[in-house]
Amino acid sequence: MILLRTAALSLRMLARSRVRAALAVAGIAVAVFILCAERAVHSGIVEATAANERDTRLIVYRANRFCPFTSRLPERYADEVASIEGVKSAVPMQIVVSNCRASLDVVVFRGVRAADAARGIAARVRFVEGSLDAFLARGDGALVGSALAARRGLKPGDRLSAAGITVTVAGIVDADGPQDRNACFVQLPFLQAAAGGVQGGEVTQLEVEVADPAKLREVATLIDARFATDLAPTTTRPEKAFVARAAADLVAIAEFAGFLGVGALLAIFALVANAIVLSLEHRTRELAVLQSVGFPGKALAFGIVVESSALAFVGAVVGAGAASLVLGLGRFSLGAEGVLVEFRPSGVTAAASVALALAVGIAAGLIPAIAASRKAIVEGLRAA
Amino acid sequence: MTGATAAADAAFIRCTRLTKVFRRGDTEIVPLRDLDLEIPRGAFVSLMGPSGSGKTTLLNLLAGLDGATRGELWIDGQELSRLSRDQLARWRAKSVGIIFQSYNLVPVLTAYENVELPLLLHDLSRRERHERTMAALETVSLVDRASHFPRQLSGGQEQRVAIARAIVADPPLLLADEPTGDLDRVSADLVLDLLGRLHRERGRTIVMVTHDPLAAARAPLKLHLDKGALESTRVDSVSMEGARTAAGEVAP
Ligand SMILES: Nc1ncnc2c1ncn2[C@@H]1O[C@H](COP(=O)(O)OP(=O)(O)OP(=O)(O)O)[C@@H](O)[C@H]1O
Ligand SMILES: [Mg+2]
Repeated sequence: MILLRTAALSLRMLARSRVRAALAVAGIAVAVFILCAERAVHSGIVEATAANERDTRLIVYRANRFCPFTSRLPERYADEVASIEGVKSAVPMQIVVSNCRASLDVVVFRGVRAADAARGIAARVRFVEGSLDAFLARGDGALVGSALAARRGLKPGDRLSAAGITVTVAGIVDADGPQDRNACFVQLPFLQAAAGGVQGGEVTQLEVEVADPAKLREVATLIDARFATDLAPTTTRPEKAFVARAAADLVAIAEFAGFLGVGALLAIFALVANAIVLSLEHRTRELAVLQSVGFPGKALAFGIVVESSALAFVGAVVGAGAASLVLGLGRFSLGAEGVLVEFRPSGVTAAASVALALAVGIAAGLIPAIAASRKAIVEGLRAA
Repeated sequence: MTGATAAADAAFIRCTRLTKVFRRGDTEIVPLRDLDLEIPRGAFVSLMGPSGSGKTTLLNLLAGLDGATRGELWIDGQELSRLSRDQLARWRAKSVGIIFQSYNLVPVLTAYENVELPLLLHDLSRRERHERTMAALETVSLVDRASHFPRQLSGGQEQRVAIARAIVADPPLLLADEPTGDLDRVSADLVLDLLGRLHRERGRTIVMVTHDPLAAARAPLKLHLDKGALESTRVDSVSMEGARTAAGEVAP
């Protein structure tokens, strides 16, 4: 009972010290915001690049080419690949990006044949708005991934221009992978004509679905073996590995951002500890007075920890909330060499950040609390 | 010490050979040396003495805020040195009210909340706490200032709030360290009137340290502390209201 009442008293006294509380909360909120942003980058990278045993997609690229501007494969490869044992489907795809380097606002055009759009693409996306028929009905029609649509505020009928290409939105599609969510699917002949520099009958890559995820690597080897002595030898990788290679810069940046996450945690610790230690410093006498009134040192220590946890908790909720809002509204994705990594808010990340901040808040308050409660009361009474 | 048992039963506070030593490096300061003292229940004692004579030190021991180096200190049948820090806190919550020279109110709490503080340590409902807090504010005539913060009060009012805080949980013992030291004559008289009434009407045992002879004159019992020993004791038995005379033996 005494513990609870002391905790309530601590919170009341904290609430009365508004400036001090607000400053601490603001600092912690910023740190938690950074932490959440870093976690979003991290999970975006993981989502785009970490292989799992359910992956079935292979990307066939021109050997020793690393950018959609230079990779060229004959469109006819698709039919040959389709006949390879274990291959479910092969979609030849022309990729045109508005910016080949790392950028936050990349538009990736994916040119597909009408027949492939009807089978392969329609199977891996869900229509949010518009329809496949609307897409096929017009030459410059585009199916826009939900993330790109949200970022650019697109709806069916809108026009989208990038990389000198203008398309008309025929549908908005949602998908499980970040590549499709950020794609702008257009018809292959239209893209080949619009992009220029590309020979008819040539595409950037093949997207191959294998029947058995366990045979992913095996099929990749078969494909490369088939074209090893051809004019355009290939390198085939699982999609995640392909993205990891293409986005190697981003992965490196994300790894570096991991330090920011650790730094944010340390900052939370420092901010809470600072707020508590400073406030205790000029509350030495107050604590001694409370003890002279009969408050046990343990209860006061508990009150201090409650105070530090409250600061951390409120700061974390504000920071995580702001991060979720910014990431959710911005639908950020970082593109490089035609692949995309999304930074999406996640409830789990937000909750984990709040929990982490709370733990750090408790840890930061603990030592000052114990030290303050053990201080000789008569010393405290003499303090200014 | 024949007959000491009887005296001990009667004495509310009893110190035997109470000694406090402060060590700072090589130097030893002994503000209290082998102090023997008995104060009966219901006494109002003023404690005077030159600066540095150990008055505050003694009061801190009586309040259980600090431990004696040697000797025994019994208050209301309880030997304080046997209590742990937590037990002392609990003991303080129910047995002592402390009044400081500098009031020591919590600045972010209102007068009402400051007075209510000790009651948070007791098993009382919110309603009971409210009634007792208001009664204590009533006693110090500050009901109309209940929602004021300390910085909105005068020094005299602050000290009366502090007195309300000291008496709200109804402790039998009140300790005051120069309660009028920072106050003008009028405010000081108000505070002294209050202490006098608490003694007379409610039978509180009060030990008040003071430098002010006028304040000391209010107390029926006057002790004089010097160089760690009680040098003189004058008992004004007229106003002791039937309490056993007793009080302070001169250290040999
Ligand atoms: N914590 C401490 N450490 C060292 N010395 C102390 C400590 N507390 C008190 N003293 C010393 O003990 C002596 C008595 O101090 P105390 O505060 O009891 O005096 P006092 O009678 O209350 O004086 P005043 O009238 O000035 O308030 C002084 O010499 C003081 O310096
Ligand atoms: Mg003193």
